[in-house]
Amino acid sequence: MTDNNNRRVLAMALLVAILPGCATQSTLSEDESDPLEGTNRAIYDFNETLDAYVMRPVAETYVDYTPELVRDGVTNFFSNLGYINVIFNQLLQGKVKQGIADIGRFTINSTLGIGGFIDIASAGSVPKHDEDFGQTLGVWGVDEGAYIVLPVLGPSSARDVPRYITSTLLNPLFYITSPIIGPTGVLGAVNERSNFLEATRLRDEAALDPYTFTREAYRQRRLNDIYDGDPPLDDWDEGEEGNEGEEAASNVLRIE
Amino acid sequence: MMMNGYRALTRVLIFATALVLGADLQAGTAEAKSLIDKLHTTLLDVMKRADALGYSGRYDTLAPVVSASFDFGTIGQKLLGRYWAGLDADQRKRFLETFERLSTATYAARFDGFNNETFRAVSQETKGDWTIVTAELVKSNGDTVQFKYILKPEGERWRILNVFADGVSELAARKAEYSTVMKDRGFDALIARIKDKIDHYAKGA
Repeated sequence: MTDNNNRRVLAMALLVAILPGCATQSTLSEDESDPLEGTNRAIYDFNETLDAYVMRPVAETYVDYTPELVRDGVTNFFSNLGYINVIFNQLLQGKVKQGIADIGRFTINSTLGIGGFIDIASAGSVPKHDEDFGQTLGVWGVDEGAYIVLPVLGPSSARDVPRYITSTLLNPLFYITSPIIGPTGVLGAVNERSNFLEATRLRDEAALDPYTFTREAYRQRRLNDIYDGDPPLDDWDEGEEGNEGEEAASNVLRIE
Repeated sequence: MMMNGYRALTRVLIFATALVLGADLQAGTAEAKSLIDKLHTTLLDVMKRADALGYSGRYDTLAPVVSASFDFGTIGQKLLGRYWAGLDADQRKRFLETFERLSTATYAARFDGFNNETFRAVSQETKGDWTIVTAELVKSNGDTVQFKYILKPEGERWRILNVFADGVSELAARKAEYSTVMKDRGFDALIARIKDKIDHYAKGA
């Protein structure tokens, strides 16, 4: 734990050291924060096209023809299967108590919850957690690295790419060799997409530049996840340093 | 004895000062909380009367509350970051006015119906100059959207500087977008795109 704390402090110190630099050299920082922007945008466009013609229509049809109760059950089932990965990463982050409680959660939902379809633990007010290997690396002090858009999978970062390895290897579905695995995987993907229909609709409605909006929302969300919902304020206030010397001007020009 | 007397007096003074400051701080955060409560009450009000008010009615009801709740001067400056310095007074004024209209329009378009949603206070805390008020919008199916408001005192009043919706900083997301548009297309294009969004919200309602 102490080691983790030290790493967190180190990561914070690095952030504090880096941020003012980013803010004062904005052109450089924009390129540095997304050095692969050209490739990323191409993959983003490909993903959006795939989404517009395949994933979104399929997900919308799935929502139209499947009762909410069933969709919730499917979401619970896949979420429960992914929970071994959550527990594994809790332990890697030193969250031992939470990890033990979540072993109980996984056991109850897998048995009494009929293979995870019913989230009995949440009904009994046992909190659900969300951890993955990208967050673990963040807690350990690993820098976010370049923003990366993955084909089909979407937004990620150099730090987050390895999370797909642990989440795949620790998912029981990976070890099942059966003709049913293909359709199950498709159902998981369609169901997952259906859970974000509203979010992507709101994004498309609000965003002036959907690529940039998605990138920043992803980064913010990941920072929030790493800090378990309580990210440091220094980070949200990023860029303020770049406005040094303009505070007086802002006061004069403020429109009340 | 004398020294002890002074020490005791000093302690009493420090204690009293701490009490006064503490009370002041508490009063401050209570004001911050009541500002958020008022915003949420207004949102619920327009949601409940959504159809009767229509988009323009919701916009007109929300406009004064949104205007009084957010520190648009500071927000606008932060949104444009390094580009702010390159704008003249008229451009700054245009940007701030347009962005405020966009904020009101977004609320008026999104909070367009009522399905037994409620706002639930989660926490409030003080960090440095900021007060953070966290609340949740609870939908009828139990799903929640968390709103974390960052407030700072501006003179006598508290104003919102940023909102995190489910962990996503509105300021950071929009700042990145606006920087991209400013860099690639310039100020007039940015204003035109924001106005397009406002028109879209008005037409879609």
